[in-house]
Amino acid sequence: MNTTTFRTDQEFFFDPQRCIGCHACEMACAECETNGQTAMIHVDYVDRFLSTQTSVQVCMHCEDPVCAKVCPADAITKDEFGIVHSANTARCIACSNCVQACPFGVPKKVEPLDLMMKCNMCYDRTSAGKKPMCATVCPSGALFYGTREQIGRNRPNSSPVNTFRFGQQLVKTKVNIMMPKGATELVVDSE
Amino acid sequence: MATLPVSAENLITQFGPSLNFPPMQGYPGRDEPDDVVKTHCCFCGMQCGIKLLVKDNRIVGFEPWEEFPFNEGRLCPKGVQRYLQNNHPDRLLDPIERVEGKGFRPIAWEAAFERVVSEIQRIQGKYGKDAFAMLSGVSLTNEKSYLVGKFARVALKTRNLDYNGRLCMVSAGAGNKKAFGLDRGSNNYSDLAHAEVVMICGTNVSETFPTLTHWIWQARDNGAKLIVVDPRLTPIARTADLHLPIRPGRDSALYGAILHQLIKHDWLDHDFIANHTTDFEKAKEAVKDYDLEWAERTTGIAKEKIMQAAQWWGAAKTSFLLHARGIEHQSKGVENVVACINLVLATGRIGKPYCGYATITGQGNGQGGREHGHKCDQLPGNRDIENPEHRKYISGVWGIDEKELPGKGLTAYEIMEAIHRGEIKGLLSICFNPLVSLPNNNMIREALEKLEFYACIDFFLNETARHANIILPGSLHEEEEGTVTTAEGRVVRIRKAVNPPGNARTDTSILLELAKRLGAEKHFGFNSSEEIFNELRVASKGGTADYFGITYKKIEDNMGVFWPCPSEDHPGTPRLWEDRKFKTPDGRAHFNGVAYREPAELTDAEYPMILTTGRVVSQYLSGTQTRRIGKLVEQYPEPLLEIHPKTAARFGIKDRELVKVVTRRGAAEFPAQLVETIREDTVFIPYHWPGKKSANQLTSGHLDPVSKIPEFKVCACRLEPQGRPAPSPAETKAYASA
Amino acid sequence: MFNTLNLRAALVAAVATVLLVASILIGSRNLTNFDPALVAYLFGCIFACFGIVYRYTVWLQRPPTWRYFARGWKLFFTGRTIAYGWELVKHFIVQFLGQKFIRNRGKARGFGHMLMAWGCLLAFAITFPLVFGWIHFGLKPGGINIYEIFVFGFKIMEFPLHTVLAEIIFNGLNWSAILVIAGVMIMMRRRLTHAGQIAIQTFEGDWLPLLLLLAISLTGLGISLDYKFMEGKAHQFMAITHAITVILFLLWMPFGKFYHIIQRPAQLGIAIYRRAGAEGPQAVCPHTTKEFDSQMHVDDVKAVAAELGFNYARKDGKSHIEYSPQGKRALLAKAHLKARQKAGSLFG
Ligand code: HEM
Ligand code: SF4
Ligand code: SF4
Ligand code: SF4
Repeated sequence: MNTTTFRTDQEFFFDPQRCIGCHACEMACAECETNGQTAMIHVDYVDRFLSTQTSVQVCMHCEDPVCAKVCPADAITKDEFGIVHSANTARCIACSNCVQACPFGVPKKVEPLDLMMKCNMCYDRTSAGKKPMCATVCPSGALFYGTREQIGRNRPNSSPVNTFRFGQQLVKTKVNIMMPKGATELVVDSE
Repeated sequence: MATLPVSAENLITQFGPSLNFPPMQGYPGRDEPDDVVKTHCCFCGMQCGIKLLVKDNRIVGFEPWEEFPFNEGRLCPKGVQRYLQNNHPDRLLDPIERVEGKGFRPIAWEAAFERVVSEIQRIQGKYGKDAFAMLSGVSLTNEKSYLVGKFARVALKTRNLDYNGRLCMVSAGAGNKKAFGLDRGSNNYSDLAHAEVVMICGTNVSETFPTLTHWIWQARDNGAKLIVVDPRLTPIARTADLHLPIRPGRDSALYGAILHQLIKHDWLDHDFIANHTTDFEKAKEAVKDYDLEWAERTTGIAKEKIMQAAQWWGAAKTSFLLHARGIEHQSKGVENVVACINLVLATGRIGKPYCGYATITGQGNGQGGREHGHKCDQLPGNRDIENPEHRKYISGVWGIDEKELPGKGLTAYEIMEAIHRGEIKGLLSICFNPLVSLPNNNMIREALEKLEFYACIDFFLNETARHANIILPGSLHEEEEGTVTTAEGRVVRIRKAVNPPGNARTDTSILLELAKRLGAEKHFGFNSSEEIFNELRVASKGGTADYFGITYKKIEDNMGVFWPCPSEDHPGTPRLWEDRKFKTPDGRAHFNGVAYREPAELTDAEYPMILTTGRVVSQYLSGTQTRRIGKLVEQYPEPLLEIHPKTAARFGIKDRELVKVVTRRGAAEFPAQLVETIREDTVFIPYHWPGKKSANQLTSGHLDPVSKIPEFKVCACRLEPQGRPAPSPAETKAYASA
Repeated sequence: MFNTLNLRAALVAAVATVLLVASILIGSRNLTNFDPALVAYLFGCIFACFGIVYRYTVWLQRPPTWRYFARGWKLFFTGRTIAYGWELVKHFIVQFLGQKFIRNRGKARGFGHMLMAWGCLLAFAITFPLVFGWIHFGLKPGGINIYEIFVFGFKIMEFPLHTVLAEIIFNGLNWSAILVIAGVMIMMRRRLTHAGQIAIQTFEGDWLPLLLLLAISLTGLGISLDYKFMEGKAHQFMAITHAITVILFLLWMPFGKFYHIIQRPAQLGIAIYRRAGAEGPQAVCPHTTKEFDSQMHVDDVKAVAAELGFNYARKDGKSHIEYSPQGKRALLAKAHLKARQKAGSLFG
């Protein structure tokens, strides 16, 4: 315990435009030991009527996690590697403040357990030097876990970005989204 | 055999399909397994490497196998959930026997074998050898496929053996043989990496071969243009550089029109055409009138897009063309395939790095299975059952008189027709669920009801097996050693992870015992899968699919070997045709003249819409396995009728309204799903479901004249909105529809 | 926590501590009923009282906590006290005492916790009043086998010695120790075998509490067993370690895992809040066009986030928070698509 071999040179990169909506990540997430058979990653059609586009979302592990700040029970903590952990099982009172406050729509309230659960970047695996389940199985590379150098080599036409703007709010994250080359932030505001 | 012994509903409560979910905290022992077995996913031709975790003779989970070169740990949801077919509550643990009015009851193996053998002998004695047919499938390993082929010819002595690859890609095989003299994807997928243009024709890669997506994305990252030909905007088509939304059944017109443009603009490799091919003139002659206007009218694709595709394809220095069921499941499947090959040959882009062409074989062992002998016209090593020399060689290997070796038999759909006509009276099937997977399945049901005796080897009581007299409980992929050949032509090792549970036996031991009881023991003295493989190596030696140089050890050491591999010091052949020595009699690649013809069934006033069928990512084939895995069923719980909103408005259909789809063969009701991602003249239904939810009640039995592949992808239908919303999927329970 | 002293909390804690001391003085009739053997425990409790109340008050002052706290009480006292009261009772019995939600997380997990929690609660119920001198026992004057119980110096009941009732009362602490030990064993087993737990647990956070409970219970039980079987030979050791571990437990209460014992009643407030939310207007996601939460909650989260310095106001005047989680994810995917489109290709 606490003898972690978390690899700080490895990062998470994702690209929703590569996602083919297969749900392999979701099924694999449920094989991760820390969350039992409850999948933490989200895959949805954006609007199936119009398109086959899907959204895929892992926890972005914000530098200043609003989920933790709005939690009335101090149940969410960020560790020395920048991982924002799933709710402390003894503290979480399932108020779902975090569920509504997270700008990425990540935390999930699991009703019968009266517990919020969220992606902790497969801490059982990453803390042992392995890759998260979702990014290992993703057949399209929409999810990728590796070094910055690797992603630069594999994806010469894109830049990793970890700055988001939701309306007025600037959010910096540990997880990167792959954007067109040269982009520095992703603005999510009214169309 | 009359109808079912008891109602289908009754059988479903007893034998499933029921849904297997892992316990909420996962299976115990996952983190400390007894064994970690490196094997492969069984649910498509990609055969992704996967590690299965074993605890107390149960498979308790999986780990990605990141070292395996094709998929490097990547999997689709079927692969992730694959382990749940093990420990399944529906698993057959004893032989069972039909009891009229009661269903099925367990019996002892001895009694089961005795009954099967005596019925085979009775029927063959009374009606002749060929009145007993065998149907097989290519989820079986190479060893089992080879064994089935030999069993049918040497022990059962019937001509009528065919397999479910007949509804997979036989047209591609036939087309490849015509053009190249050999049936294998010409390249492995690493040749995609630097292809300048990737054209994928009639293949929903993102849902049917998800792990191949990575290779296509890699090509795009290196600058490739992606062209996707599909009537629907599939996930892979969504971001493509060019999507050609073709009217179903018009494929050869498109490829003909592109060839026309290549010729017109002289985007040709004249040296290659002159030195390594024949019949270019015929191909040219056939497409001389296929100008853009004609092509637009015929295919329903804007001519600018067709021109764009021709231009990209023509100007490229490297390219890769992939196709699959979309163009192959047609009554002109072979013509579509050779029309694609014409584009490859005209530009001479084959047999060189990053210049590729391949059909993407669909079934788990679609590639290897068809090479080694359960195809009605083929002998091991991709040999021809009608070629006297081939017959002589194989008879020699099998130690039988060439005269005893049966000739070419009927194909799968034709076998069912012959049963329907009363010409075939008995059936043994393994690994095949024709009641769900063959077209026009109302006819199939009637045929099954006419059989005098039907024995089935399977691990679950699939929909077809409900009509059987005896079911012999066989084994899963992870319960026997063996090899399979992936869609790339890579022979890989399947490993036994657990023993068959209860009194279930391995498929191999069942076939060997039947062979023995049929008096053919001396030809079936195998003690292990490896021994069967070693005989297969010899049998394939000198054939086009030459496995002679491949051994278990070599596969294990190299994580797969590509055939042909004629000798033990041969490294295998990932890329074909580098030597330009094609396997045709004249050693050249053949162009084929493809004059366009219409699909077998056209729309008319009574049936105004085109119906096309296909797959979803969470299901595999007839669903015998995947309709029993809880999360896969939940992901896409029932077949939906995809329809364009404008068409829906025309017929007054609302989203999720129940719509009756009527064809000349049958009718069935599906909830409508209004999507702008499909052509306005086409509706789509995925086919994996049984009973009332089976799309194959509607599809047509028109066959391709050469390959006898059915035309699943095109027929004419009528839509009748039912004026009420569909019940929820939980109520419908499509996975277990009776 | 203490590096910047929270004055208000310190004040509240001081008042609470004074009140506790007063109640001890009153309850024990100016310490006449006080058992001197318990003096160490008493001081532990008094310090712990300050710590806990201080910590609790600091915690309450956090914007999200305060909002729930205030909102909960307001809801309770605005008209529907009876309905909400009933909700509270139900929740208290099924979830708080019955801990159904923990059993839903896993049978052993729920059962183990119930043993620990009930064991502890039983022990608290017995020991705190004894330590504070609120309760004391005495032989009925003039007899040798009738015991009397006094609460705040008033006689409540009497019972004969050597009866079942007597056994239960005198052995109450032993029983609670046994429950706690059994529960701790179950929880420890989980922490040793469950790979997910192993990955995220820490010694101070997860093992120390269990070890501490084990130590308290074993030494507590040891005191009795020692008298029964070893003629008190180990009394000194048992008594001292028991006192030390209990005092550690008390002083640690405000910080570590055990704080949840004090903090968890908040879940009762949430039960009311949710009931009230469900009865009020619902928020509809502009993207999915479906209801996803109560309007009250969405408004509260918006206000809390603003109080904490997060501003999700968009150009069109809407707030990003007004979208459901699924809607938010779709907005991101759409924004990303747009950015890709703008760059000329959906792919790259
Ligand atoms: C009666 C009200 C209580 C409630 C509602 C409550 C609730 C909880 C919850 C939800 C957990 C997390 C369990 C899990 O999911 O693994 C937990 C853990 C724990 N509780 Fe309580 N608790 C209560 C009382 C107590 C008491 C009185 C104690 C004793 C000191 C206690 C000691 C613990 C310990 C040691 C753990 C950690 C178990 C572990 O993970 O190893 N709880 N409690
Ligand atoms: S993405 Fe959401 S859940 Fe994850 S750290 Fe940020 S606010 Fe918290
Ligand atoms: S595995 Fe990859 S492609 Fe499949 S749904 Fe998840 S992110 Fe998308
Ligand atoms: S079904 Fe095919 S793509 Fe999916 S994991 Fe299995 S082999 Fe790979």
